[in-house]
Amino acid sequence: MRKLVGVLLGFLVLVWASDPWAADTIKIGVVGPRTGPAAATGKAFEEGIALALDHINASGGVLGKQVEVVFEDTGGVPEKAASGFEKLVTRDQVPIVVGESHSSSALAEIEVANRYKVPFIICEAWHDDITKKNYKWVFRAGPANSGVVDFYIAPFVKDMGFKKVAIVRENSDWGVGIAERTEYNLTKMNIPFVTLKVEREAKDFYTELTKLKAENPEIILAYIYGTGLHFFLAQAHEVGLAPKALVLDGAGPPSLWESFWKNVGDAGELELFISSMHQDVHLTPTSRKFWDDYKKKFGKDPSDYKTRSIYNVLLIAADAINRAKSTNNEAIVDALEKTELEVTTGVVKFGLNPGSYEYHQWMPPMLVVQWQNKKQVVVYPKEAATGVLVRAK
Amino acid sequence: MSEFLMFLTNGLVMGGINAISALGVSLVVGIMRVINFAHGEMYIFGGYLSYQLAVGAGIPPVLSMLCSVAAVFLGGLAIEKWLIRPTYGDEMYSLIITFILSIILQNAALLIFGPYPVKPPSLVFGATNIFGLFHYGNQRLLSLALAAGIIGAIMYLVRRTWFGKSVRAISQDREMAAMLGVDHLKVNMISFGLGCALAASAGAIIAPIFPVTPSGSGAVSLTAFVVVVLGGMGSLKGCIAGGVILGVLENLGAAYISTDYRHIFGFIILIGVLVLRPWGLFGKRI
Amino acid sequence: MKRAGLAGVFLIAILVPFFLNQYWLHVAIISLFYVMMASSWNLIAGYTGQVSFAHAAFAGVGAYTSGMLALYGGVHPALGIIAGTLLAGVLGLGLGGLCIRMGGIYLSLTTLGFSEILRIIITNEEQWTRGTMGLQIPGVFSVYSKTHYYFLFLAVTLAFLVLMRRLLNSDTGLAFRAVLNDELAASTSGIDTVRVRLMAFTSSSAMAGLAGGLYGHYLMLITPDIPSLGQMFLVLAMAVIGGMGSFAGPIIGAIALEFLSEYIRIYGEYHLLLFGLVALVIARFAPSGMVGLWEKIWRRR
Repeated sequence: MRKLVGVLLGFLVLVWASDPWAADTIKIGVVGPRTGPAAATGKAFEEGIALALDHINASGGVLGKQVEVVFEDTGGVPEKAASGFEKLVTRDQVPIVVGESHSSSALAEIEVANRYKVPFIICEAWHDDITKKNYKWVFRAGPANSGVVDFYIAPFVKDMGFKKVAIVRENSDWGVGIAERTEYNLTKMNIPFVTLKVEREAKDFYTELTKLKAENPEIILAYIYGTGLHFFLAQAHEVGLAPKALVLDGAGPPSLWESFWKNVGDAGELELFISSMHQDVHLTPTSRKFWDDYKKKFGKDPSDYKTRSIYNVLLIAADAINRAKSTNNEAIVDALEKTELEVTTGVVKFGLNPGSYEYHQWMPPMLVVQWQNKKQVVVYPKEAATGVLVRAK
Repeated sequence: MSEFLMFLTNGLVMGGINAISALGVSLVVGIMRVINFAHGEMYIFGGYLSYQLAVGAGIPPVLSMLCSVAAVFLGGLAIEKWLIRPTYGDEMYSLIITFILSIILQNAALLIFGPYPVKPPSLVFGATNIFGLFHYGNQRLLSLALAAGIIGAIMYLVRRTWFGKSVRAISQDREMAAMLGVDHLKVNMISFGLGCALAASAGAIIAPIFPVTPSGSGAVSLTAFVVVVLGGMGSLKGCIAGGVILGVLENLGAAYISTDYRHIFGFIILIGVLVLRPWGLFGKRI
Repeated sequence: MKRAGLAGVFLIAILVPFFLNQYWLHVAIISLFYVMMASSWNLIAGYTGQVSFAHAAFAGVGAYTSGMLALYGGVHPALGIIAGTLLAGVLGLGLGGLCIRMGGIYLSLTTLGFSEILRIIITNEEQWTRGTMGLQIPGVFSVYSKTHYYFLFLAVTLAFLVLMRRLLNSDTGLAFRAVLNDELAASTSGIDTVRVRLMAFTSSSAMAGLAGGLYGHYLMLITPDIPSLGQMFLVLAMAVIGGMGSFAGPIIGAIALEFLSEYIRIYGEYHLLLFGLVALVIARFAPSGMVGLWEKIWRRR
C-alpha cells in the first residue's frame, strides 16, 4: 500500500512540474484528422500549415512574436475531436483554434469552443448547423452544405439538363446533410431522383450499383468521402452504369488524391468533382503566391484543396489577432467580425446577420471540374469554365 | 432475374475469398486451439507487400503476389515460435497475445505503408458479359478462379501429404499423435505459418479489386471468425461452405433487406450458431 | 500500516483538484473512468479466466441508455445512469447465459460478435443515435465544473472498488479463484462453475455500464467510439500492463497508461503502437504485470 501512495505522489509531482511555461511565441491551435480513414486530410493540412507559417513569420509574425501551430489529431472521431480541442484550450492555452474537415467532429468541437469561449474558425466542415447554431465564437471560412448545393450542384444539374438523378450518400453528418439539401432542391425543381445510403467505409458497391442501374440515372451525385469514392467509381464502370451516367464527387479532394488514378484506372475519365482550386483559375494574387510557394517547397503541384483551405484560415486568424492587438477572446471575435482579408479564394468577409447558417460564414467560390484526358477542365459555373461538359457516347 | 444472378455471383466471389481467409484461421484453431486475432493484419500485409513489390520494385504482378505470400509465411513462423509457443495450453493467454499483436501490426502498417489504400496492378482488365445477363469485372472472375485453385491445393495438402496426415492426427488426438512420433512443434509452426500465408493470399488476390488499408484489418479478421464458427472450428469443408454462405447471404441481404446492415448478418449468424449449434455446420460435436 | 496507507491514498485523491489545472484534472477524471473499466474487466478476465471482448460494448450500453433517456425522455442523468447499469447487467446476464458454459474461445468470439452488432446498430440507427456523428447529451450538473465531476468520479470509483474488494474476499470471490485455478477440482468440491462465472460476468458487465454512463455524461458527447474495439484494447492493455488477476494491477495500469498517453501525445501516431509493444512485452515476459514485477523485486531484496 505504501508503494501505491509513493506512485501517486510521484505522479502528482510530475504533473505539477510540467505546467506550460510562459512562451515567447503565439500558439494557434489546429484540429484535423491525422489518423483514421481521412488521414490524407491531415497530410494536406500539414503542408498548408507549413506554408502559412512561412508566410506569416516571414512577414513579422503576430503581435511581434513568431507564430507556432499545435496540431491536435481528431482521428475523424467526434469524441476525440472534442477532447483534443479541450486540450488545446486547457493545456496549450491557445487563443484561437482553426481547421477541421469532418462535420461530425466540428459539431462536437463548437460545443467546447462555446463552453470555453474560444474563437474557432472552421475551414472544411460543411454541415449547416455548425454556423446555424449562431455561436458567437464560431466562424467558418469555407463551404456550407446549403451553399454548395443551392449555388453549385443544383444549378449545375438543372443547367446541364440532367433528367434523372441518383444520390448516393454515406452515413456521416456531411453525407446526410448534403443529401437532404440536394433532395430539397431537386424536389423544388421537379427533377426525379433516387437516394441510396452506403456505409462510410464500404468497399463493395456492386449491390448498390445494380439497384441503381435499374433506375437509369443520368447523373450520380456521390456523397462519399475518401477512397470509398474510388471504389464506387471503378465499380460503377465495371457494372456498366458509368460513364453513361456521369459521376459527380460531391466533396472533391478524393478525386485529386495521388491514389485516384491508380485506384480507378480508366474509370476516372469524365468523372466530375467539386473543387475550390484549379491550376488555371487564380482569383487573387495570394492564390498565385500560394501555388508558387507550394511548388518551391514541395516540388510538385498542390492537389488536395484542403491544403489551401487551412492556409487561408491561418492567415485569417493571424490577421485577426494582429488587428485585435491582443490575444483576448472578445477582442479577437470583434476583429474577426470586421475581417476584410484577401486570401487565396477571394476576400473574406463574414456574414453578421444572425438567424441562419450564413452568420459568421464566408463561402469561397466553388467549381465543378471534369477529368478530360486526365486534365482538369472547369465546366461550371460558366464564368469560370475552361471547357465544356463532355458526356459519354 | 439477372439482378439476382449478379448478386449471387458477387456473393460467390466474396465467398471464395472468405473461404481462403477462413481456412487459415480454421487450420490453426483445429490444431492449436488458438484464434489468431492478427489474421486480418496478415491479409493487409499480403496486399501491401504485393503492391510494394509490383509497383515499387517493378516485379511482375504474379511473382510479387507469390513473394508477398512467402514473406508472410515466414513472418507467421516467427510469430509462432516467439509469441504463440509460450501460450500452449492457455487459451486466454493466446487470445490476449494475438489481440495485442493485431493492434501492433495494424499501427505498424499505418506507419510503414501510410494511411492511403493501395491497389496492386490488375492482372486482367475489363468486364465480361455473362450470358447476356449482366456485366461482370474480369478481375473478379479471375479472383474466383484463384480462390478455387488455392482451396483445391489446401485440400490436396491436407488429404494427401505427410503434413496433412500429421495435422489430422493431431487434431483428432494429440497424445496419440505424439506417441506415434508426430513432431507437433514442427506441425504447429508450419500450420500457423500456413494460416498466415492463406490470409496473405486472400489479401493479395483481393487487393486489385478492393484496395487494402491498414484500418480494414479488423473487418477481415471478424469475417474469417464468423466463417470458421459457421462452418465448424477446425473443419476445412466447413470453411468453404461457410465462406460461400456468408458471401451470398451478405450480398443478398444487402440487396433485399438493408444495405446499411450488410455486415450485421454475419454477426447474427455468429451468435446464432454459437448458441444453437456451437460445433457449426461440419465441426465435431462437443 | 495498511490502514495508514489507504488513508494516505484517500487524502491525496481528495487534494488532487487543488493541485491540478483544468487540463490535468480532465486527465485525472478520464483515468478514474479507466480504473473502473480495467478493474471490472479484471473481475471476469483476471479472476475467472474468461476473455470478454464486450466490455467496451457494455460501457456503450450504459452511455447510450442514460444519454438517450436524458435527451429524449428528460430523465435525470442520475436515474439514467442507474438504468444503464441495470440494462448492461441484464444484457450481460443474457449474453453470459448463452456462452459462459462453453467459455474460452467461444466466449471470446460471442462477445466479439455482440460488440460488433451493437456498434453496427448504433452506427445505423441514425435517427436516434446519430451514428458516428455522435450524440450531444446533457451533463450531470447544471453548471459545468471539472472539480464536481472529479469528486463524483472519485466517489463512484471508491465505492466501486470497495464493493469489488468485498466481493472478492467473500465466498463468491474464493469460488472465482477456485474456478480459475482448477475448474475440475472446483466443480468436484461442489462449486457450480457456470453459476460462478455467470455471476462474475454479469457484475463485471453492470460495472462497465455504470462507468460508461458516467463517462458519457462527463463528455456530454457519446459516439460509437465508446463501444469500439479500440477502446477495448486500451482497457485490456491497462489490465495486462498493470497486472491481471491482482486487485491493484488494473488500477495502477489504468492511471499509468492514461497519464503516459498524455506525455507521449506529441508522438500521436506512435501512441497505440507503443502501448501495444509494452503490453506485448509484458504479456510475454511478465504475465503478472507491473504489480508482479514489483513484488518480485521486493522479495529479492
